[in-house]
Amino acid sequence: MAVKLYDKLKHSIRYWLLRRLPTCQQTVEKISESMERSLSLQERINLKLHLWICSWCQWYMEHLHIIRETTRAKADQPPDFIAGAGLSDETRERIRRRLTNQN
Amino acid sequence: MNAPQGKFLDESPDAGRWLDDHGDYLFKYAVFRLRDNTAAEDAVQETFLAALKAYKEFQGRASERTWLVGILKHKIVDHFRRAMREAPLGEGSDEGPEHREFFERPEPWQGHWNNNYAPNEWHATPAELIERSDFWKVYNDCLSPLPQRTASAFTLREVDGLKSEEICEILSIKVNNLWVMLHRARLHLRNCLELNWFRREQ
Repeated sequence: MAVKLYDKLKHSIRYWLLRRLPTCQQTVEKISESMERSLSLQERINLKLHLWICSWCQWYMEHLHIIRETTRAKADQPPDFIAGAGLSDETRERIRRRLTNQN
Repeated sequence: MNAPQGKFLDESPDAGRWLDDHGDYLFKYAVFRLRDNTAAEDAVQETFLAALKAYKEFQGRASERTWLVGILKHKIVDHFRRAMREAPLGEGSDEGPEHREFFERPEPWQGHWNNNYAPNEWHATPAELIERSDFWKVYNDCLSPLPQRTASAFTLREVDGLKSEEICEILSIKVNNLWVMLHRARLHLRNCLELNWFRREQ
């Protein structure tokens, strides 16, 4: 009984907050900005509260950090975008000729 | 008596071997950032030419590859700077898709996630993704539809971790433009990865 009441209360608080806080559309923009600058106290409070009641935006933030981490890890180990990535034989020879002429 | 340093300086650089040892790596390094094969080839060639000229200053102070990558970085930034000067950011120009469709329009939930686009849990860690070459293919395809400047801003920020001021200077934009571009690039890329990679993997 008490558990049920607690759930109901929690649900009401969430609903009440969701109607008053910045929307998801505004929040995802803030999440991105939080990776670029320090947010003001008001912005931080709104973001924290929004994330508390919205698992979608929680995931969104987590995903942006996964993207950042994976991307940065590739900085020194660039991926092969095209099959057999590397210089084509033709380009390699062109550069070789250019370098020999320079020497 | 020959001083060892003098002997080192007399050695002529072997540019052909540089090309064999580092050419592919430098090319991939440049393609990842420039997202354009021709521009990447040019950057690699310019790097070797500059390296030939600067060889005397190098003197084996760093590893050969680190030294060459250092030169390539400058060539890549030069390319961005040149490309952006030729196409200045005008009024109302494209910073990337807004993706309004990701969010609800009608009340009472206006501005909240639309069910079809709402983020879902990703069952993967960065460590796993880094090794998956098919993931990087999808990643690359997802960045392709973005306007060039937006993709470049994203690359400079997320791949190389440059500061806002440096990126703004290179791309000739204001910091507010940069934030909008980064936000749109992330919004687009995240959704595209979820649709084309994470949902398919499960």
